[in-house]
Amino acid sequence: MIEIQHLNMVYPNGVKALKDINLTIERNEFVFVVGASGAGKSTLIRLIGREFLPTSGNIRVFNKDITRLRRREVPYYRRKIGVVFQDFRLLDNRTVFENVAFAMQVVGASARQIRRQVPEALEMVKLTGKARRKAHELSGGEQQRVCLARAIVNKPSLIIADEPTGNLDPETSREIVELLDAINLRGATVIMATHDKEIVDSMKKRVLTLSAGKIIRDEQRGVYNQDAH
Amino acid sequence: MLIRNFIYYIKEAFCSIGRNGWMSFASVAVVAITLLILGSFILLNLNVEHIANEIKEQVEIIARVDENCGPLEVEELRVSLIQLAQVEEVRFVSKEEALVRLKAQLGEFMEGYEQEHNPLRDSFEIRTINPEDVPAVAAEIKKIPGIAAVDYGAEVVDKLFRSTNVIQWVGLAFMIGLAGTAMALIANTIKLTVTARAKEIMIMKWVGATEWFIRWPFIFEGIILGTIGALIPSLILIYAYGEAFSWARMNLYFLPLVAPEQILLDLSKLLLVLGAVIGALGSMFSMRRFLKV
Repeated sequence: MIEIQHLNMVYPNGVKALKDINLTIERNEFVFVVGASGAGKSTLIRLIGREFLPTSGNIRVFNKDITRLRRREVPYYRRKIGVVFQDFRLLDNRTVFENVAFAMQVVGASARQIRRQVPEALEMVKLTGKARRKAHELSGGEQQRVCLARAIVNKPSLIIADEPTGNLDPETSREIVELLDAINLRGATVIMATHDKEIVDSMKKRVLTLSAGKIIRDEQRGVYNQDAH
Repeated sequence: MLIRNFIYYIKEAFCSIGRNGWMSFASVAVVAITLLILGSFILLNLNVEHIANEIKEQVEIIARVDENCGPLEVEELRVSLIQLAQVEEVRFVSKEEALVRLKAQLGEFMEGYEQEHNPLRDSFEIRTINPEDVPAVAAEIKKIPGIAAVDYGAEVVDKLFRSTNVIQWVGLAFMIGLAGTAMALIANTIKLTVTARAKEIMIMKWVGATEWFIRWPFIFEGIILGTIGALIPSLILIYAYGEAFSWARMNLYFLPLVAPEQILLDLSKLLLVLGAVIGALGSMFSMRRFLKV
C-alpha cells in the first residue's frame, strides 16, 4: 500500500530530518513509528499526509507517487486517508456531531449520508451519548476520540496518527490505541508515530525505529527499543 | 457549483458572520464609513461638474461692430460669423437694444444717456458649440474686418475651464485612491477574521476540502458584509442628499444642483456593487496565505 524509496528530507533551515528512508507497508498493517524527539517520526507522517514535499525520493501510496501530485489533486488524495493529530484540532465552538460531519461536508456528502455515517463513527469511538456536546466541554481523551471519529467517518483505507496519545494519561492512551486497533481490524492500514513505550510493547505490532532520520530497526511484533534514545 | 454545496457556502457564510460578531461588525463599519466618504465625494464632484457645465453653457462672445459699418456690412458680418465652424448661434444686438438692457441693469447711473447720445455700438452675441472653444473662436472673430472689439471675459473663462479640469482630475484621483484604501482596509479586517479561523481552514485542508470549497464561504461572507456595508451609506446619502437638495433649492436657489432622482439610484447601485466586489476581493486576497497547507 505504501512504498517509500530513497526518501530524504532537509528543512530550509538545514536540518536533515530524514536520510535515505526505504520502506514498504502492506495493506491492513498496523505500524508504530518510534524514536526520540527529533528522530524524524513526525516528518515521515507529515510527508505521507502530503503536508509538504520531500527533498528527494518517492512515496507511493495507493499505487501513486504522491510527490508528483498536482496541488489540485492533493485534496482528493487526502480524502482517502484519515489523520489523527496530537493536539486533536477540533472546532471548539461546534458540537461533536458537527465536528465529525464537517469532514463529510467538505467532500460533498449528502445530508442523508451524514445522518447515517456520523452516528456510526461516533458509536465506533463510544461517543454516541455526547453528540450534542461542544468539543471544548469534553475531556482530552474524549476530544481525541472525536478526532478519531472524524478520521474514520469517510471510511478511509489508511489512517495516519502523529503522537495521538502525546497529551493523554496512560489509561486514556490505551483506550485510543485500542480504538485504532479496532479500526485496523476492520481493514484500515494504521501508521502511528509515538514514543509511548508501554503501548508499543503491549500491542506487539510492527515497529519501525527511527534515529537521527534513519531507520535503525524494523521488526514485526516488535517492542520499543531503548536504542531509539 | 453543486446546489448542495451552494447552500452549504451560504449557510456557512451567515454562521461565520454570527460566530465572529465583532469582526463582522468591524468589517461592515469599515466598508460603510469608506463608502460614505466615497459616495459623498462622488456627489460633490458630480455637482461641481454640473455647476461648471451650467456656467460654461452661459459663456458667450460679444463682438462689437465698427461704427463705420452700415446695415449691409452688418448683415455680411452676421453671415460670415454664422459660417464659422465652431459657432452654434449668432444674435445681433443693436446699440439701441444694448442701451435699453444697460439701463435696466444699472438704472440711475445711466441717466442722461439717451438714444441720441448713445455711446454704445452694435454687437453680436455668439455662442459656440463647445464652450471650451470660446477663446479660439474669439481670436478668429477679432481678425474679421468690421469687428472693432471682442470680449468674452477672457480671464474668468480661462480660469473657469482650467479649474474645472483640475477639479475633475483631482476628483477622479481621489475617488480611485479612496476605493483602493477601502479595499485595503476591508482586506485587512477580513484577514483578521480569516486569521481567527486559520485552524478551521487547516482542518478543512486535512480532511480533503478543495481550495475553492474553502474559499467560497469566505467570498460569500465578504460579499454579504460588503453589501450590508454599502447599504448603510446608500440609505444615508439618499436621505441626506435629498434634504440638502431641498434646503439648497430654498436658500441657495442660484446654485444649480443635480436633482436627487437623477443620480441617487445609480449612485446606490454603484456603491452596492462596489461593496460586494470589494468584500469578495478582500476575502480572496486575505486568505491566499492560509491555503498553503
